[in-house]
Amino acid sequence: MTSFKVLETNHPRLDAIEKVTGSATYASDVYLPGMLMCKLLLSTQSHAKIVSIDVAEAEKIPGVRAVITGQDYPEVHFGSGGLRDRYIMPRDEVFYVGEPIAAVAADNEIIAQTALDTIKVLYEPLPNVVNSLAALDPGSPIVHPDLPSFEGYGFVLGGDNVCTLLDADRGDVDEAFGKCDFIVEDVFQSQGINQGFLEPMACIARSEPNGRLTIWASTQGPYQVRSQLATVLQLEISQIKVIPMELGGGFGAKLRLAFEAYPALLSIRCGQPVKLINTREETFTLNGPRLPVTNYIRSGINNDGTIMAREAYTVFDVGAYLGAGPNSGVGHGLGAYHIPNYRLRSYGVYTNKVYVGSYRASGVADMTFAVESHTDNIANKLGIDPIDFRMKNAIKKGDIAVNGSPLPSNGLMETLEAIKKTLNKPDAGSDRGVGVALCEWRSGSGPSTASISVNEDGTISLLTGSVDISGSDTSLAAIAAETLGISLDKVIVPKRDTDLAPFTGPSGGSRIIYSQGTAVQRAAEDTKAKLFLLASERLGVAAEALICEEGMVYVQDNPAQSLDIGQIARLSLSSRGGPIIGTASLSNMPYTPVFSTHAAEVLVDKETGQVKVTRYIQAQDVGVAINPMSVEGQLDGGAVQGIGRALSEDMQFDPQTGEVKNASFATYLMPLAIDMPNIEDILIRVPAEDGPFGARAVAEPPGFGPPAAIANAIYDAIGIRINDLPLSPERVLSAINGSVTEITLNVHSLKQAEQ
Amino acid sequence: MKKTVSFNLNGNAVQILTESYYSLLDTLRDDLQLTGTKKGCDEGDCGACTVLLEGKPVTSCMVLAHSVHDADVVTIEGLASGQELHPVQRAFVEHGGLQCGFCIPGLIMSATGLLMENPEPTEEEVRLAIGGNLCRCTGYSKVVEAILAAATKINGSKGGRS
Repeated sequence: MTSFKVLETNHPRLDAIEKVTGSATYASDVYLPGMLMCKLLLSTQSHAKIVSIDVAEAEKIPGVRAVITGQDYPEVHFGSGGLRDRYIMPRDEVFYVGEPIAAVAADNEIIAQTALDTIKVLYEPLPNVVNSLAALDPGSPIVHPDLPSFEGYGFVLGGDNVCTLLDADRGDVDEAFGKCDFIVEDVFQSQGINQGFLEPMACIARSEPNGRLTIWASTQGPYQVRSQLATVLQLEISQIKVIPMELGGGFGAKLRLAFEAYPALLSIRCGQPVKLINTREETFTLNGPRLPVTNYIRSGINNDGTIMAREAYTVFDVGAYLGAGPNSGVGHGLGAYHIPNYRLRSYGVYTNKVYVGSYRASGVADMTFAVESHTDNIANKLGIDPIDFRMKNAIKKGDIAVNGSPLPSNGLMETLEAIKKTLNKPDAGSDRGVGVALCEWRSGSGPSTASISVNEDGTISLLTGSVDISGSDTSLAAIAAETLGISLDKVIVPKRDTDLAPFTGPSGGSRIIYSQGTAVQRAAEDTKAKLFLLASERLGVAAEALICEEGMVYVQDNPAQSLDIGQIARLSLSSRGGPIIGTASLSNMPYTPVFSTHAAEVLVDKETGQVKVTRYIQAQDVGVAINPMSVEGQLDGGAVQGIGRALSEDMQFDPQTGEVKNASFATYLMPLAIDMPNIEDILIRVPAEDGPFGARAVAEPPGFGPPAAIANAIYDAIGIRINDLPLSPERVLSAINGSVTEITLNVHSLKQAEQ
Repeated sequence: MKKTVSFNLNGNAVQILTESYYSLLDTLRDDLQLTGTKKGCDEGDCGACTVLLEGKPVTSCMVLAHSVHDADVVTIEGLASGQELHPVQRAFVEHGGLQCGFCIPGLIMSATGLLMENPEPTEEEVRLAIGGNLCRCTGYSKVVEAILAAATKINGSKGGRS
């Protein structure tokens, strides 16, 4: 391995002191003079026409400064997931229980709430549909009859309630199924999931005297908030400044415009700053969660253990609006395997529920649960060890991936080998079992920028537009420090806003280190070239003869001939080229896969159905660990989120109205410290062909593996296969007692509809 | 209606006019602008608002401000002495026991309360003590590691068992 000075060493985060002393400022911590509080009136109807909203009484209450409804916004369709299918606030029709239909700004929250209670809404109920499979039936109520008129970008509309249809095909699937030795067919279902960020959504909007708007936001995507806010308010982008505050967890939920438009319009109306903080209940009922997914999967296999054909049909419930793309790609129906013939389809289906949002590679955890449970079913039929079966069918370097690119070098096989070496098979009959899951993802791409200026004392200021998530600022600083041969404490990463920093894509989809990190590395290379140019003039040697290390630029053959970076910066002030600034900009990065193998060891209590995860291991190919402590933090946190998805987390919806029934942390059960094992992380390092110093993306795959690894471990322990998440004590116990829910998906009618 | 409440906050006597229905959390944040204590749920479920009341960790959203009259309250802002971090804070920094950081003030207060009562906890005792503190980022592994390391450090400096 290349020897690094800064990378591959544990570094405390640059902002750690602020975070442990309580001085880090989140959006809800911003208090401004004259600040009003905003509260939202929420729809009580699942699907209804709004006949009238009477706010006259609310406006008369002392301390109420402004009241708005959907009619107060410009009549413009907007979309947050690739389809312009909604208004920022409904004008004349509501589509789910909990949809905001009016907003009040008042001197305090109590007055605002009192005002809301006086608003009279007259509804005319319309037929609704809550279940996504029912919404596929011919004759189902149609959520959005005007779907064909919605402007979309990049998706095929399936018609009726199908707002997106993705496909991927290769080979002659029907012939391959006809020729193979046997076929395995399964249907899986996974549940609605809340992102569970600890900081409720919060924002403050202030209408400035010069007509601009300032937004203090809790967001992963300040530039996305800016452009979407400009759309819904019909302002110029240049009229809006978004200041991303410390982010108290997002996991995809805070990638786009959320509720910023409500305080924004209220502030424009009354000229005072307006603050909105969601209650915890609202973070469940009106902030786009993930919704249930049904997966039909069928494979044709030869007796030698080769998978010859695959069909996968996936139905994503997207709720009332396409709040996020339906999933991160239909290709995940293949898993990490080379399968010569396949037919993959995924459907995004409208229902009258809170609209779907993003969460840590949306949809891939659901698909990994299905594919990797199914993979074990095949291995069991063949009587082959599940790890050996995966090794036999795993996609290899040079195979054409589902995206059409040849697979670059990767550490897939090494992750399987590492788990095989570590895993111990428990004694038969002990109610203990082990299970594995193989996960696949790609490093995220998208617009990325960086700018570096060199200060007179040899420090650098690194300006990026990306929001820090989970220590990404520290890792970006480490990449700059490594490139420039300086220590990490010489890098300043200033707080920024959309006026100050260059445009960049949102912090999500595992793109910051890979894409933004590449921009930082290139900006540092640019800076280095400029430092060398000036140093070569002063030292009288060719720039090619110079290297930089430990804050010095010196002649490789004669280290005594040197300048420190601070000296060069001071010289630059009066040089021909002026002060030194290095920049870089890029939009797309090549395909770089990420693979990991997960293993769970469980103990099943047959009396209660309780599943205890006694050991959890994951081996992930990270390429290079920029900051190992931070990489492990991502792996640990992702795995525990995945264990929650596997065992206990479950958004419950009223079957008639679609209303969220368990909108609190007391009833939506996220993992607690006492329930969790210590997560064991094995870092595999097969450097990526692209990416900074060979680093791959890290953050998404850790959440994919647990549901399948744990379901497979339960099967190993007690011989019972459960296809329905979560694997709660109730469900496991009824499975032990012989009652397993049969899940069906009418693939035949989907195929017919396609023809 | 606003009424006056007096208590000892981070070692200083305070007297504050606050709404009778305010929780201690709202008084700390809205009246005293001590925003280090976080509001994650306002229902006593997440632990982000944990402070020490008479040396014991409590969720401050579940305590009425007027009920702490004359009591001793310590918040995250009261742990460090000047630039010198409390050993628990220092351990969270060094062991990477934080990511987004929103739950961290509450976790640090729970951990500090634990170590005051039980200076040499086992891993299981640590996990139990922070059982009321939800964290969505870290998966708890490095948090537990940090608290155990802080215990070792505190005991080491007292000449106790390391």
